[in-house]
Amino acid sequence: MSGQLIINGIVNASLIAPPAIAFSLLFGILRFPNFAIGAYVTVGAFIAYALNVGAGMPMWIAGLGAMAGTAVVVWLSDVLVFKPMRGHTPVTLLVVSIALALIIEHIIRLFYGADVRGFDLPLERPIKFAGLRITGEQIDIIVMTIVIGIAIHLLLQYTRIGKAMRATADNETLAEVRGINTSYVIAFTWFICGALFGLTGVFAGLDLVIEPLVGWYLTIPIFAAAILGGIGSPYGAMLGALLVGLAEELTVLVLPSSYKIGVGFVIIAVLLLIRPHGLLGQPEIKK
Amino acid sequence: MSAYLISMATFVGFFMILALALNLQWGMTGMVNFGIAGFYALGAYTSGLLSVKLGWPVGITIAMSCVTGLIAGGLVALLSMRLREDYLAIVTLGFGEIVRLIALNEDQITEGPRGLKIDARPFADMFDRETYPLVYLALVAAAVAVVFVIVECIRRSPMGRTLRAIREDDVVAEVLGKNVLRHRVQVFALGGAFMGLAGALYAHYVQNISPEVFMPMVAIFIWMSVIVGGAGNNWGLLLGAGVVMTILEGSRFLGDFIDFLDAEQLSAIRIIVIGVLLIAILRVRPRGLIPEPKFSFAASSTEQGRQPSTENAK
Repeated sequence: MSGQLIINGIVNASLIAPPAIAFSLLFGILRFPNFAIGAYVTVGAFIAYALNVGAGMPMWIAGLGAMAGTAVVVWLSDVLVFKPMRGHTPVTLLVVSIALALIIEHIIRLFYGADVRGFDLPLERPIKFAGLRITGEQIDIIVMTIVIGIAIHLLLQYTRIGKAMRATADNETLAEVRGINTSYVIAFTWFICGALFGLTGVFAGLDLVIEPLVGWYLTIPIFAAAILGGIGSPYGAMLGALLVGLAEELTVLVLPSSYKIGVGFVIIAVLLLIRPHGLLGQPEIKK
Repeated sequence: MSAYLISMATFVGFFMILALALNLQWGMTGMVNFGIAGFYALGAYTSGLLSVKLGWPVGITIAMSCVTGLIAGGLVALLSMRLREDYLAIVTLGFGEIVRLIALNEDQITEGPRGLKIDARPFADMFDRETYPLVYLALVAAAVAVVFVIVECIRRSPMGRTLRAIREDDVVAEVLGKNVLRHRVQVFALGGAFMGLAGALYAHYVQNISPEVFMPMVAIFIWMSVIVGGAGNNWGLLLGAGVVMTILEGSRFLGDFIDFLDAEQLSAIRIIVIGVLLIAILRVRPRGLIPEPKFSFAASSTEQGRQPSTENAK
């Protein structure tokens, strides 16, 4: 029983990890919690749905299309909404991002309604071993998340643009002074993060369902993972995702599963009280 | 139609109480609260359950709603002592969702999604069915007036200046010897009590409460009211609450003219309009339609009637 829960937890963690990394990267340059991330994930799920079911394309093309499409939508959200408002207080931007999430979610609802949908995929038998079950799609999700994690690590650590991203997140003015084109770097970060959100949408469509609120239900676990790992730290986000993913599934042992969505909040509240800067984050010096 | 207007005005009243409470917490003190729906639900269920399950008189159950709101507000504020404001946003949002989850899942007590039926209404036996909606509107209006006077008194008092100091820079306020934590807990608890009051009044008005009413969306509407009206300004947000409600309800009538959209699509468009307006107002008038008056020493002294002669110098 608990072995199955651990497998579910790892799948859950693989779903949370890519957007948690993206949220962390975005927080690094923007310095406010972007509540629209859930809506971005929903956009990814619906683009993949439109390509897969609507246009009849194979799943992997639909997935790539969703990543590209979501990247553009997410970048546009910066150009149209957030960029003109840089310099406003974090709370103002937070309210704006919530409003943006509502807008995106309801534009999708306007065209697709609130029905629950799924991809057009052949039904597969779950693989069984020692009484445990896992589907082929779930294995794909786990493998791809690991690949993504390594790719982001290589990008940040060894490429020119990755170093520029870290420099910009660390101190934008200093990076600018040192000759980094920060507005290019910021746009690039939005694109990368958009692709990650789009991919998460595809994962969510594979493992959960496709509906206008699918991203909203993931928002809180994503926040919890990013805060748990230390906000602004991509590696922390991966660790945080693993812990939150397992914690959410294992609470089923003690609480009815309908309380799962509350677990993320409790983790956040307790953690912020004990270690406000997260597990791997550095304490921020205030004034 | 006039019955509809009366009911709409009553709902504007609930919005106004919530907005005044949020203005106290955020507009004046700078504490973010996205758990408004949670406090609202707590008030509604406290009063509803005490009246249905224990048969307490309505006056006492409404008072108890304020008390639970007060206690919950105080506890959430204690959480905030080490939190930055954007983290507090997440914690309060979580509080609201957990309250809703409990109301949804503990259905032996709260009736869950079936909805809790509440028969008791204040002063119900003193008036007939025709005039009762007007009486209730008057009751809500009186509650708005009381909350408004309390919040406005706090704003003009020395405590109000301390709160603004905390909002602008809590470190400076602390250095000046103000007890920042105590002020924050007090203000958040009082705001929670007002939200509980609004919830109780709502519960006895609609007489059937269920968890889906208390979605996080409620918080957005109230934030919208405060931001549109002008944060920190109590008059402005009364206007703001009216504007938001008019958009929400007024767009219902669009359905009579646009027949190619169904109800689902119309409600989606309504939310899109609200969202776009919110962003547009924050872009164009970040301080709201009626901004908080700029603080000046002369203005503050005339306000207290100490130096009426400087009034012209404002």
